[in-house]
Amino acid sequence: MINTGKKHLVHIVKYRWWWMALTCILLIPGIIAMIYSSVTYANHAPMKVGIDYTGGTILQYGLEQKLTNSEVEKTRANLESAGIENPYIQILNVNNDQQKKTKSNINSIISIRTKFIDENSDTTSVITKQLQRDYTNPELISVSSVGPTMGKELFKNSLIAVTLAFLGIVAYLSFRFRFDYALAAILGVLHDVLFVCGVFSILGLLYNVQIDGLFITAILTVIGFSVHDTIVVFDRIRENLRYYSKKMSFGEIVDASVNQTLTRSINTSLTTLITLLALYFWGGVTTKDFVLCMILGIAIGTYSSIFFCSMLVDFWNDKQSKTKQVSA
Amino acid sequence: MKNKIMMFWAIVAIVIVSTVLIFVKPTKLGLDLVGGSRLVLEAQTTPSIPKITPEVMGNLQFAIENRVNKLGVAETIVQQVGEKRLLIEIPNVTDLNEAKSFLGETADLEFKREIQDENGIRWESTGLSGKDLSRASLSTDQIGQWVVSLEFNAEGAKKFADLTKELVGQKMAIFFDGELQSDPVIREVIYGGKAQISGGESGFEQAEAQRMVNLLNAGALPVPAVIVEENTVGPTLGADSIAKSQKAGIIGLSAVMIFMIVFYHVPGLIADVALIIYSLILFALFKTIPVTLTLAGIAGFILSIGMAVDANILIFERTKEELRAGRNLFTAINSGFDRAFTSIFDSNMTTIITCTILYLLGTSVVKGFALTLALGVIVSMFSAITVTKNFMHLIFGTGELKHPALFGLRKDEIGQSYEATETKREKARFGILD
Repeated sequence: MINTGKKHLVHIVKYRWWWMALTCILLIPGIIAMIYSSVTYANHAPMKVGIDYTGGTILQYGLEQKLTNSEVEKTRANLESAGIENPYIQILNVNNDQQKKTKSNINSIISIRTKFIDENSDTTSVITKQLQRDYTNPELISVSSVGPTMGKELFKNSLIAVTLAFLGIVAYLSFRFRFDYALAAILGVLHDVLFVCGVFSILGLLYNVQIDGLFITAILTVIGFSVHDTIVVFDRIRENLRYYSKKMSFGEIVDASVNQTLTRSINTSLTTLITLLALYFWGGVTTKDFVLCMILGIAIGTYSSIFFCSMLVDFWNDKQSKTKQVSA
Repeated sequence: MKNKIMMFWAIVAIVIVSTVLIFVKPTKLGLDLVGGSRLVLEAQTTPSIPKITPEVMGNLQFAIENRVNKLGVAETIVQQVGEKRLLIEIPNVTDLNEAKSFLGETADLEFKREIQDENGIRWESTGLSGKDLSRASLSTDQIGQWVVSLEFNAEGAKKFADLTKELVGQKMAIFFDGELQSDPVIREVIYGGKAQISGGESGFEQAEAQRMVNLLNAGALPVPAVIVEENTVGPTLGADSIAKSQKAGIIGLSAVMIFMIVFYHVPGLIADVALIIYSLILFALFKTIPVTLTLAGIAGFILSIGMAVDANILIFERTKEELRAGRNLFTAINSGFDRAFTSIFDSNMTTIITCTILYLLGTSVVKGFALTLALGVIVSMFSAITVTKNFMHLIFGTGELKHPALFGLRKDEIGQSYEATETKREKARFGILD
């Protein structure tokens, strides 16, 4: 037996079907939300898509007062009567302790999303004037605009990036390990990406959270991290196979390897999560969703590398040896 | 032992150089942190210019550069991206609409007609302006005086012909930058869309005429250009983002350091020192290369702090395991490093693969994130393996510090290893024998 110093904490092989069931429970709500979104949204996207992909303009104004929902509703109505089509308004509240340092007296940020405002349009000044009537001293603090053609291009590039990342990882893992390990790792990554997209789809439905260019960046980071975690487990399986393949069954080796790397898997995820949580709670307002995406991805990535990927490798091995036995 | 000590001083030297670089070199902050405008312009084809050639782009870039320079802001950037786009960066703008104003503005050239009414004589716009120019050039007239030759575009030529037809026998004035240049009397209709500006009675100096030509050419864009992407951040939001990122970074770093000490005791403390060295080297690299720090880039940096200790956790977990399995201290530490290396290398390679893809395909915001993360992963291989290994060897190599609690283990967990003695070979490998 491999000496792990303590009893196995998790049993991959024994509770295989339980882990499969848990995986399904984790994924199904998100998948339902994505299907529901694709059917109901006008652009048939599985998630609420931001201006980076659809084109549009977001204007952000800093306000001295804290905003209430009724005020926002009033502003929305006012903007519509001023001729702005479907303005989409969000409120971001600013941490109080932060302002003393930056000497700004902005207490909340109102963010207004409209159709793409080109350089010849006076929409920006129409909105600014309306806000000046509704609030005291609104300050225009950021403008981001993406033209409709640019949005399509960004979307295409994002898809290419994600596909290339998958292929690159499969190629590298096939070269360093075996193809079936690479496949299990990639299925693990798909599992993680699906989970994160599912959660964002739900957040989109409930809280209007939109995905943007940074979302894809976060997804790619999650892909890297998820594989990273899986590799450590696989590396251990590879090492243990070398020394113990005669004495132990494949399933036992998988179980032992997972348990040997368990503390490490959890601890590295914890250190990464600590830094991400610091960014989420104390970092900039504009990167909140980006960080949230990575928090979700890293948490689920740890789960999948421990329970999902190793279970798959064992499952395939089981199938193979069974067919071998039958044919023999 | 000698090698270890030399390595130690090499690390100290690297730390000193990094610290000096951090103090000497300025930090390049992205527009989302200092405030500023980032615009992407796309050249549009016209019936007369149906294809955007590199030459057209060159002219457009020159024209835009001139206009942007007129804003009088330091460190503006105008560069071509792709086949028909220009990326423009204007830092430190306070009025968010002002940054875009240069686009709508054309050369301050205006043709005016004389109007006489009860208030006396005044000049009135004719609707013909620098917008209608296709190019300007320097030449001399019959008597050898410097003149600015104008060539109108198709629309401008038509307007000019109509206008001269209407104004035969009257004066038409040419204003440049609000100043009257000349007010010749139109003698006949001018077809062909060509005109000259002479300096009136005093004439032009060559330099003065040349300046006008440059400004006029800069004013007239060879093809129309539209904004396809814009990111403008006011200075308030930028300052807020910096303050918040700093706070998040300090909190994240401290929390990770405490975590390491709690879980791994002395090795954890060593990893913390390595982590500080990591941050110093990485920050010095950012300043030297230089990498422009954006909000996403800082997020990548802070994220890489969490990932940098990953290698140490792998190594220390392995060391603990080996100790539990009854290996002696030296072997345990060494196999911790040796056996964890393949995992560390393979897993970091996948992160580098994704970063490369992000860098090649991403927009500039994404590029910043990918570059900081990739640099972080590479530097962390040095800090977490070379630096930590060196310190571990120096500290535990004396053979004095052997207590299991130093590694966060209980005495009964550690089995035989507490008493195990090292063979000569192991000692040699560990570097305590010369």
